[in-house]
Amino acid sequence: MEYDLIVNSEKTLVEAKIQDREITLQKEEKPLTASFERVSDHQILLNINGTQLNAYVGGGKDVKTIIIDGRTYYIRDADSLAQAPAGKKGFKGGAKTVCAPMPAMVISILAKEGQMVEKGQKLVIVSAMKMETSLFAPFDGKVTKINAKEGDKVMPTDILVDIEQKKEPAEETNE
Amino acid sequence: MFKKILIANRGEIAVRVMNTCKDMGIKTVAVYSEADSKAAHVLFADEAVLLGPSEPAQSYLNMDKVIKAARDTGAVAIHPGYGFLSENHEFAKRCEQEGIVFIGPSSDVIRDLGDKITSRKIMKKGNVPVTPGLLGSETDIAILYQVADEIGYPVLVKATAGGGGKGIRVVNAKDELEEAVASASREAQNAFGNSEVYIEKFFTRARHVEFQVLADDFGNTIHLYERECSVQRRHQKIIEETPCLVLTDELRKEMGQAAVRAAKAASYKNAGTVEFLLDENNRFYFLEINTRLQVEHPITEMTLGLDLVRHQIEIAAGNPLSLKQEDIHPRGHSIECRIYAEDPENGFMPSPGKITFLKEPSGPGIRNDAGVYQGVEVPVDYDPILSKLVTYAETRDQAIAKMIKALKDYIVLGVKTPMSFLCDVLESKAFKEGQVFTDFIDVHFSDWKSNAEMIDAAVIAYIADELAGRAAPALNAKQTGVPTPWETLGNWKMTKVG
Repeated sequence: MEYDLIVNSEKTLVEAKIQDREITLQKEEKPLTASFERVSDHQILLNINGTQLNAYVGGGKDVKTIIIDGRTYYIRDADSLAQAPAGKKGFKGGAKTVCAPMPAMVISILAKEGQMVEKGQKLVIVSAMKMETSLFAPFDGKVTKINAKEGDKVMPTDILVDIEQKKEPAEETNE
Repeated sequence: MFKKILIANRGEIAVRVMNTCKDMGIKTVAVYSEADSKAAHVLFADEAVLLGPSEPAQSYLNMDKVIKAARDTGAVAIHPGYGFLSENHEFAKRCEQEGIVFIGPSSDVIRDLGDKITSRKIMKKGNVPVTPGLLGSETDIAILYQVADEIGYPVLVKATAGGGGKGIRVVNAKDELEEAVASASREAQNAFGNSEVYIEKFFTRARHVEFQVLADDFGNTIHLYERECSVQRRHQKIIEETPCLVLTDELRKEMGQAAVRAAKAASYKNAGTVEFLLDENNRFYFLEINTRLQVEHPITEMTLGLDLVRHQIEIAAGNPLSLKQEDIHPRGHSIECRIYAEDPENGFMPSPGKITFLKEPSGPGIRNDAGVYQGVEVPVDYDPILSKLVTYAETRDQAIAKMIKALKDYIVLGVKTPMSFLCDVLESKAFKEGQVFTDFIDVHFSDWKSNAEMIDAAVIAYIADELAGRAAPALNAKQTGVPTPWETLGNWKMTKVG
């Protein structure tokens, strides 16, 4: 089976042979074989060449969070990403957005609709868990719409500011 | 002794205090907000009183409601924990007026020391060295510019009512001063209800060393040695340890005596912490006295083998201190890591959410003071601390190794945590050598990313999780078994079978 995965935002093509409770990764050097045993919903015991490793797996269909030996890996299926509804992030061309990074309260909005902004310019200050965080313009452009006001409670997916990107030669988003 | 104590706090510290109450046979009352109805501290208490909506002003910071909860439940004393009302002198005063024992110093002492300016004056008088800077709060930006020029950049804009890293801004150059003052005052207004700020010299290469003190009603004041708290991010400590590597016996003695002098100058009662800045030339300056239990108090408990909350309660109940200075001898080494729901790869942004899986570390010399459990929601409304992870061993190296092991064995799914970041800090050469200053994170770990050394294993785990489906909702299913790849194919495309 071929898995087209994105591991910590790096595209990774994996070829795996699956047999009973054994997974063999076809590597350039030599194949890597591991057996596995599910311990609980969130724990899988791996045995890689005789060494036991506990993998803790969270998340769902979209992205899995995997913790092994104290390190966290985020793995998603590249195919499912391609099928994800467009519009939120990495939307090709046109208006781009500034989103809240976490559930937060809007403290202050420093831009006006119609204003030209530069990349890195502070647009919004939000506060979550009593910490203030600034949101910056991701590129040069024109603020087309402001969707929040001071005192609003906002969620990570909420778009606070729409910005129309200034036309630049050969603009490419690598998502 | 008190029959019943109300704990006016939430999360791990409320649970921590309740533990000692239970040890002492004292009944506990929890208070909570709507966001916390199933929080760990609520479930752990003997009684629980709903204060109101999640906004702190309508719940944990609402004095009327907290006092009423104590009255209604018959609690004779209130332990304020840290944060919230713990350093609020008006609250202490209200308790005094209502005949409820506030477990901490008197309201006058909290007021004087809570005001950074007054405390600086008291210390100057008590012959305790203070950092260069203003001796009064200032709103006139022109004067602030002038003083900053005099003491030299970088300077620190600090809320006079501050604490816990809130209302503090480092200003490296003149053109940043005005905005820093505005935002520090705003944050201070939100966090403490007081927007006043002042400035003092900022030491880029300083250590933060604090001394624990205990003082009773009978004039006994002792210190319980130091804690080194230099590893900070956003001016909030994240790793603390004791003893401090750089203190010579002589300097330790000198600072301990200064700490006792500071407590006495302020007529301090109960447990408190005298914070000092230690510069590169081993000169120390008084920063402030925290008039409460510190987050990092467990490391002192580990090396001294005592329970600080128990001593707080004993002192508040009017009992004389059972310890004498000459009986206090620290042993071994202890480290604490603060475990927050936060994203170290993204500026330590808070990461609220539901904890879907939790496995706490255990073993000899490991202590985890947790305020969460599997299934609980970490609310957006409060400081996102999940627990304090503490290790204790004979030597510093052993305590570090134990901490790294514990961090790797501490699994939290559902929210982001700093485990791997903390491991990298503890494993770094700079930390191991004790080259730890308050700018440690900025200097060594500003662009930290988790390295992905076990990608193959992670990919195997990913595939295994796909193959061996998680338990179906049917509870009586004996064995889920391994579904065939055909059953779990999902979106995968089959190109070739190897």
